Amino acid sequence: MIGFVGLSHLGLNYSLATAAKGFDVVAYDPDAMLTARCAAGEFPIEEPGFGELFAQHRDRIRYTSDETALAECELVFYSLDVRTNDRNESDPGPLSALIRATAPKLSPGTIAVVLSQVAPGYTRQLRMELREVSAADFYYQVETLIFGRAVERAMQPERFIVGARDPSRPLPAQLQAWHASFRCPVLVMRLESAELAKIAINFFLVSSVTTTNMLAEVCEQVGADWGEIVPALQLDKRIGPHAYLSPGLGIAGGNLERDLVTVQSLAAKYGTEAGIIAAWQTNSHHRRDWALRRVHELVLAGSRATAKSFSLWGLAYKQDTHSLKNSPAISLAEALAPFRKSAYDPQVKSLERPIPNLSIAPSALEACLGADALLVMTPWSEFSTVALGDIRREMRGHVIIDPFGVLDGRACHAAGFSYHTLGS
Amino acid sequence: MLKHHHSPPAKPERVLILGASGFIARDLARHLAEEKIEHRTIASSEIDFLQPQSVAQLQSAIGQGDAVVLASGITPDKGRDVGTLMKNLTMAQNVVAALEAAPCAHLVYISSDAVYDWRENLIRETSVRQPAELYGLTHVVREQILTLVAAKAKIPLCIFCPCAIYGAGDTHNSYGPNRFLRGAIKDRMIALFGRGEETRDHIYIQDVSRLIALCLLYRSTGVINAVSGTALTFDELALMIAKIVGPDVKIAYLPRKAPITHRHFDVTERLVAFPSYVSTPLDEGLKASFLQLTALRQG
Repeated sequence: MIGFVGLSHLGLNYSLATAAKGFDVVAYDPDAMLTARCAAGEFPIEEPGFGELFAQHRDRIRYTSDETALAECELVFYSLDVRTNDRNESDPGPLSALIRATAPKLSPGTIAVVLSQVAPGYTRQLRMELREVSAADFYYQVETLIFGRAVERAMQPERFIVGARDPSRPLPAQLQAWHASFRCPVLVMRLESAELAKIAINFFLVSSVTTTNMLAEVCEQVGADWGEIVPALQLDKRIGPHAYLSPGLGIAGGNLERDLVTVQSLAAKYGTEAGIIAAWQTNSHHRRDWALRRVHELVLAGSRATAKSFSLWGLAYKQDTHSLKNSPAISLAEALAPFRKSAYDPQVKSLERPIPNLSIAPSALEACLGADALLVMTPWSEFSTVALGDIRREMRGHVIIDPFGVLDGRACHAAGFSYHTLGS
Repeated sequence: MLKHHHSPPAKPERVLILGASGFIARDLARHLAEEKIEHRTIASSEIDFLQPQSVAQLQSAIGQGDAVVLASGITPDKGRDVGTLMKNLTMAQNVVAALEAAPCAHLVYISSDAVYDWRENLIRETSVRQPAELYGLTHVVREQILTLVAAKAKIPLCIFCPCAIYGAGDTHNSYGPNRFLRGAIKDRMIALFGRGEETRDHIYIQDVSRLIALCLLYRSTGVINAVSGTALTFDELALMIAKIVGPDVKIAYLPRKAPITHRHFDVTERLVAFPSYVSTPLDEGLKASFLQLTALRQG
């Protein structure tokens, strides 16, 4: 028996989809009038195919406001949609109240899964709160229903994203059995990652939509046709299936920055809204200085000594080039002017504009000599071949700041380094 | 972005501190004395910037090579109304009139983080100046007046915006470290609104003085936020103070009066401007403040 707690749009669709997959379902909501209406086939939502699906599978779903029915369930989904106010702020209060009221009623061994739209950290915090009153283990699963396509999305999800307290352990058998009935990939990750994955999916949608809207408005002013451009973008590997998803130190190299300025200029000329570009630029500058902030936090904070020394691997703005245009490595070196720095780059052997206290080393390993921290600022592949033991012997300190993850983080930790990279 | 006119740093001929009796001015004078930087403080008892004659008085006090630190103003604990705003602007008007007649070598204006829009996060020096209160508006207007006048008079201007400052010499006792420390010492109690969920940045008074001194030494121009870069909740702050002051200190949670707001600062500009400057860790600053307050209480 599988339970659903909270019969808003989310719960109604998923509970019915579960019944349609052949499971017996308890669909619980404390609102007795609502459950009575649902039992009679009167639903407060309209979704294509919902009525037909209910007609086919109504014998396997029991709508009830009797919370004791949940004791029969070995798997319970919390499926109340989280409402938002006029300022688009979420109010998880009703969901939390519902969980607090029903979790103690679950039988030992029951698996509880939060489906609702919650903020990262919610499920773990909830589990901590309920430890004393409920033996159920809590998981989080991302929902990706779309209004108007909810039945289709609930019946044929492209994947499940599941958050677990310990993602290295297999999911419970009852949850695996439920997933298996949908025949799609299951991605298991830590609770917070899954909670954030939901937000990340929406963020990417928002950025695509707003970018399209902004450029489409420019099109209207300069005589271009966005519809002609769209197929070109869809066939572009950088935007289609191979979109950039790896974290980095902002945009650099000059070409992208130039195009931003060009569109800003067009927007200013024709009076179109392009404020988002300034936001991108601000964010890019902020990301550029990530390594600088980490250096101060990890190496310089709490120490008033100016005798710190740094090793910089990479000066070019990206690998396989000698270009220094807007290079984060150069910005970092300039911001660390008072400190001794030794840099190595496979292609950059000199600088047009000298940077105080910066010397160029003949090899990656020699750049590490006496350094308090190693900063891998350009993701040259050859850096990953340098033996960590050799680096450790050359360095005075043990901090590695590797934004692009060129080195093996686990191996760095194992070798005694304090290792730091973007995104984790 | 902060720009340095002296690099390497060089001591100013003399520092003239306007607003000698204030929290910042007193500690800055202490720090400059320690660093053996010549300075003079001017209190309102000597020159009252609300009075017209203050223009001539200040004009005669300013030397051509002086760096002037303008820390004079009526603080919010003495008034938050339009009248206070107008008095603060009158003071600025008189100071500006003196500076126009007798330009100094460098001007540092002590503003406030109240100039920023509270709804914005992350706050940085380029953030929109859109204050929520008249006190913040006072600083915004003064900043604008000084910027225009300094540009015309070719005076290098540095606008210095500290967040909530803590330390034993504070006289304001506003909600935060100073009030919490005093409450913990005197009443063995720290009173928080709500659960103290708001996150704020706090800077130790001696860090403020060190940063102003750096601006003076480098003859810096532009805007700098004087913040630690580490924000924590009032609840976390209260727990930290309770741990320092004693195990019997209790934390009381009072009904919340205002919505929860948060404020975080991006310190990148400061890291770039002053790479060797290191903030005092909050627990160290609080311990030092506690010891000073205890010593003061014991006479």
